[in-house]
Amino acid sequence: MTASILFFVLASVAIAAALGMLISRNPVNSALWLILNLFCVAGLYLTVNAEFIAVIQVLVYAGAIMVLFLFVIMLLNLSVLPDLKRIEWRRIIAFIMGMGLLAMLMFIVANTLDMVPDPVTLQVAAETGSATSLAKVLFTQYAMPLEVIGILLLAATIGAVVIAKKKPV
Amino acid sequence: MQPEMLIKLVVLLPLIGAAINGLGGLFVPALRNKEGLIGMIGTIMVLLPFLITVYLFIGFQGDAIISNAFTWMAAGDLTIGFDYRIDELSLLMTMIVTGVGSLIHLYSAGYMHGDDGYWRFFAYLNLFIFAMLNLVLGNNLVVLFLGWEGVGLCSYLLIGFWYKDRNNSKAASKAFIMNRIGDFAFLLAMFIIFREIGSLDFDAVLTDGLTMSQGSITATVLLLFIGATGKSAQIPLFTWLPDAMAGPTPVSALIHAATMVTSGLYLLARLSPLVLMAPGVMTVIAIVGAVTALVAATIAITQNDIKKVLAYSTVSQLGYMFLATGVGAFYVAIFHVMTHAFFKGCLFLGSGSVIHGMHEVEHELEHDGHGHHLDPQDMRTMGGLKKFMPATRMTFLISTLAIAGIPGLAGFFSKDEILFKAFEAGTHGIDVGLVVWVVGLITAFLTAVYMTRAYVLTFEGEPRWPHADKITPHESPWTMTVPLWVLAGMSVVGGYLGIPAVIAHGDLNWIHHWLAGEQGPVAEAAFEGHVALAVEWGLIALGSLIAIMGVWLGWRWYSKRGLSFDEKLAARFGGLYKLWQGKYFFDEAYDKTIVRPLIGGSIHGLAPFDKYVIDGLVNFTGFFTRGASFTLRYLQTGLVQSYAVAIVFGVVLLIWLMLF
Amino acid sequence: MDLSQAYSMMMTDLGATLFLLIVAVSGLVLVVFDAFKPRHVATPWIAGLALSAGFVIEMMSIGAPEGLAWYDMMRTGGSAAFVNSLVLGSGALSIILTVPYLKKIGHNIGEVYAMILFATVGMLVLGAANNLVTVFVGLETMSICLYILTGFVRSESGSTESALKYFLLGAFSTGFFLYGIALIYGATGSMEFGAIRIAAEQSAGVMFWGGVSLLLVGFLFKVSAAPFHMWTPDVYQGAPTTITGFMSTASKAAAFAALVVVLWKALPAERWADVLAVFAVITMVIGNVIALSQQNIKRMLAYSSIAHAGYVLVGLASGSQAGYSGALFYLMVYTIMNIGAFGVLALLEWDGKEGSEQTLESLAGVGYRKPFLGWTMAVFMFSLSGFPPLAGFLGKWAVFAPAIDADLVWLAIIGVLTSAVSAYYYLRVLVVFFMKPEGENSPMAEHSFDIPRSSAAVLIACVVLLVVFGVTTFALDVTSGFFAADTVTQFLG
Repeated sequence: MTASILFFVLASVAIAAALGMLISRNPVNSALWLILNLFCVAGLYLTVNAEFIAVIQVLVYAGAIMVLFLFVIMLLNLSVLPDLKRIEWRRIIAFIMGMGLLAMLMFIVANTLDMVPDPVTLQVAAETGSATSLAKVLFTQYAMPLEVIGILLLAATIGAVVIAKKKPV
Repeated sequence: MQPEMLIKLVVLLPLIGAAINGLGGLFVPALRNKEGLIGMIGTIMVLLPFLITVYLFIGFQGDAIISNAFTWMAAGDLTIGFDYRIDELSLLMTMIVTGVGSLIHLYSAGYMHGDDGYWRFFAYLNLFIFAMLNLVLGNNLVVLFLGWEGVGLCSYLLIGFWYKDRNNSKAASKAFIMNRIGDFAFLLAMFIIFREIGSLDFDAVLTDGLTMSQGSITATVLLLFIGATGKSAQIPLFTWLPDAMAGPTPVSALIHAATMVTSGLYLLARLSPLVLMAPGVMTVIAIVGAVTALVAATIAITQNDIKKVLAYSTVSQLGYMFLATGVGAFYVAIFHVMTHAFFKGCLFLGSGSVIHGMHEVEHELEHDGHGHHLDPQDMRTMGGLKKFMPATRMTFLISTLAIAGIPGLAGFFSKDEILFKAFEAGTHGIDVGLVVWVVGLITAFLTAVYMTRAYVLTFEGEPRWPHADKITPHESPWTMTVPLWVLAGMSVVGGYLGIPAVIAHGDLNWIHHWLAGEQGPVAEAAFEGHVALAVEWGLIALGSLIAIMGVWLGWRWYSKRGLSFDEKLAARFGGLYKLWQGKYFFDEAYDKTIVRPLIGGSIHGLAPFDKYVIDGLVNFTGFFTRGASFTLRYLQTGLVQSYAVAIVFGVVLLIWLMLF
Repeated sequence: MDLSQAYSMMMTDLGATLFLLIVAVSGLVLVVFDAFKPRHVATPWIAGLALSAGFVIEMMSIGAPEGLAWYDMMRTGGSAAFVNSLVLGSGALSIILTVPYLKKIGHNIGEVYAMILFATVGMLVLGAANNLVTVFVGLETMSICLYILTGFVRSESGSTESALKYFLLGAFSTGFFLYGIALIYGATGSMEFGAIRIAAEQSAGVMFWGGVSLLLVGFLFKVSAAPFHMWTPDVYQGAPTTITGFMSTASKAAAFAALVVVLWKALPAERWADVLAVFAVITMVIGNVIALSQQNIKRMLAYSSIAHAGYVLVGLASGSQAGYSGALFYLMVYTIMNIGAFGVLALLEWDGKEGSEQTLESLAGVGYRKPFLGWTMAVFMFSLSGFPPLAGFLGKWAVFAPAIDADLVWLAIIGVLTSAVSAYYYLRVLVVFFMKPEGENSPMAEHSFDIPRSSAAVLIACVVLLVVFGVTTFALDVTSGFFAADTVTQFLG
């Protein structure tokens, strides 16, 4: 029950954050909305007991990639920087409450339509979501795609260097 | 080696020869003057297949061998392999083609000496042999057709070999176009067969094909026959053959006497079981053959060009063969194909030798400044050549007697067999048999007369060219006389392969057993009962008598009166003679009824239609499309956002199509 | 599962996909080698030899029965081997053409060859995939390398611009593709082709077909079918010419091969045939019609390649064994034709901007100045427009005939009509080459050059292959053997 409600809360916030990212005119605001969205997705992973992926999601996306995004945005010499002093707590609380309300309503609608997702049992979660089981699959069944992804990343790195080198060859 | 491998070699060697001579001559100009080398390659590449074929012939067990070179195409129900078939008929034809072919190659090595296109000539000639071998060895109608078209192409190339003279090119085009008319019918026949039985392999055609409906069979055989009339120069498509004499004489000997023109007969013999199922068409074949034989023989009497005489003689003899086919005696037709290849090949080569000699005379006349223009092919300026060209004369005489049907020589056996078969058919309920028999007898007499005329005018009497006392021709080199002697020898002995049935009840008739025996590939019409032995002997005597009479009369008339006898004939026959001399005005009739209306119609009717209606439509379409193109081009704005919009449009369209 | 057993299995799989190993390892070696010995002559040799070795291996296993490797992630032998040899052969020929070309434009950098190898790895994985994961990984590896190959000539703004466009739109379509995979997984619970089909045949709802639609979006983008084609002209025009040749052939072959296998093995035989038919029509019409008004010859060939994608889609829309095999045969023919055509263009380039500004008219009279290039180009153009007896004709027949058999006569008619239109712009090239007099200030007059023997050899090889495949049908027989009914059941069972 808790997991189900949590699912709806996170889902609503994720969608709202994605919309916010699209709508906001300021790039930094967009990036911050995106961070919120990524965190919510990480939370969704947690609700299905996939801790490893949740952690990776936060580390890679919300951490590394977003920092990179923000760096780029800052370096591009923006004319209007967001004014961080004027945070209206009322609006934030209103947002949180609104989201909670939306989540409840969605839960009720889904419940009447019999569309509530089945909670994942701990046993299933241990078989699929843990780092060990993931590694086992990744290095046996998916070993070949994994290696090819390695090549992909190498190619992308080299390509980035070739294209971004200061002196054109 | 296995026969399967050997037969591929037989087909391939001439192609290799053609490639060496053709490509070598084309890309390495230094090779073009190496006449000895070119001639040797050309000849050997035909001689070797001949020897291989003889080897196969000796070792032949009686069962047809099929050799698959590769699968040419497989599309749906249609599978066409490059299959070659070794059986009695194809072996015999291959031996004729390669045997006579190699002799003629040898002859050409001497005849074409000094010609600029020496290498080209041998390349074409080898290519022709390759195509002809595909024709006679192919195991399905498609490979046969490929060879059929291939020989047509080579014939075109070789008739127009001296393409700088416009008349030669015209003759070549005429031959090609007339052949195409026949080929069209052949193609239609193939379509019918394929539609009905779904295969074009001979084995299938001759088993499943026999169960087709009577209408289909009749249509198929008729169309095949029309195809054959084109290639084998029968009425109504025969007028190209005399014009084809524009090519070099060895070509006339090889293509237009010995091999290509007989392919129509080969086709009918190959499909003889099918032909036998269409008796109505067979009657047509017999009549067309007989009429062609008579018409061409009467024309031949009036011709003065030595090669034209031989050309009409060929048409006439081909008519004979169709006559035999029409009365169901397919193996006799093939027998006559063989003997005809010997004596007509010899006659053509002999005439080539004569022309070769007369060319010399012409050259010397011009060189000495006498200013006379001499046609080296005109018999009116020949005469008395026996003194100067003894070998040519002797061989020409032998083959003349052979074609006339003097007993003991090759022509006698095959011609007599044809007449006998016609008589037999005629007395066994096939009414047309007796009619064509009578026509055949008349033609036989005419043949003896005009061939004797040709011989006498050329070799006997006194020389008639200007300054004959000072300028004389010489005998041709050995490369030319050796083939003549070989062919003359074959003209003497070749007939003993088919000794008539009166002797030893036909047990000695080898060619009958070989081709139409129990397992032989050639069918024949079967009749109840036999012609009485005495009647048979009587027929033989009649045939011999006619031949001897013809030769004797011809000799008396022409050696005594010479050319003036032609005038006497003209006076006696009047309008009929004019008709013969004018070749029955076939060319003029075609010109008036077909060629001119077509050209006129296209100038006055189709050309404006084409210009205004068709071109207008085409231009409008082009204009419209280009307009659309220039408009659509602006969709490509170069902005990546609009590209993304297009993608989204595509996504929406795709999902909509997929889900609803 | 016991891990030691898993590793021994993988060792066997390495042997089965030896070609992939060779190409990938050679790519890695090249990267290191180039770092220590930049612009060394051996660099292209290593790349070329690796691709040729792979080509030989895969050619020999075309006759082998279809098999699976890497936990059913990849297919080996049969059609997979055919597509792999196509990709590897195309890569090898492109490398031969690329060496003199890069020297000419002054960008002879070693990374290009490594990138070609890595792109080839992606294509091989894509063409031989048996699992949506492999499809995706292969597709992305290929795409990333192609983005880089398009844009590595940084001094040329057209090159950079087209690379960026390609990248953005490629990423866009990848999103759809990935979402499609997710939906299909959600609907069927599997990403392996055979399992997807079994599940879908039991129940396939909106979710499944929606996923298939999005999957098709990704494929149609990669094969540049309209309206997902907009990137093609810009990228083909902007990329270095021989790279365009490589990109337009090998990547298309691999993507189409994967699509064929998806249709054949992973989808129930319903719904999608008509959808593909519609997109085939749009693609053929747009490609052929817009090509008419192009002045730049590379851009014209780009639209032509769009049109050819439409022809292949016709074969796929028929949904039959003959259609699939015809499509594979067509891809082979198309690869030969296009490598040749772009090879000729690469030699004829004079504007120093990878031909992106070179108009067709500026090549007037080239047929006389360089008869070799003129005549080989004539063969490629005739084959592209589908004149018998060249292979282009047989190829068109191989894709249109199955459509007629599948009662899509209207589709075949549109195909034939549009390819009649195409004759106009193909033959215009020859008209300009041979029948227009060279202009007074023709740039070609100043631009004298020699034809490298290696390039000439490649062009001759392409011409010979086009003639051979045009008059014989054995290649068609080989491809139609791949999709026999028994192989399907073998996989499903």
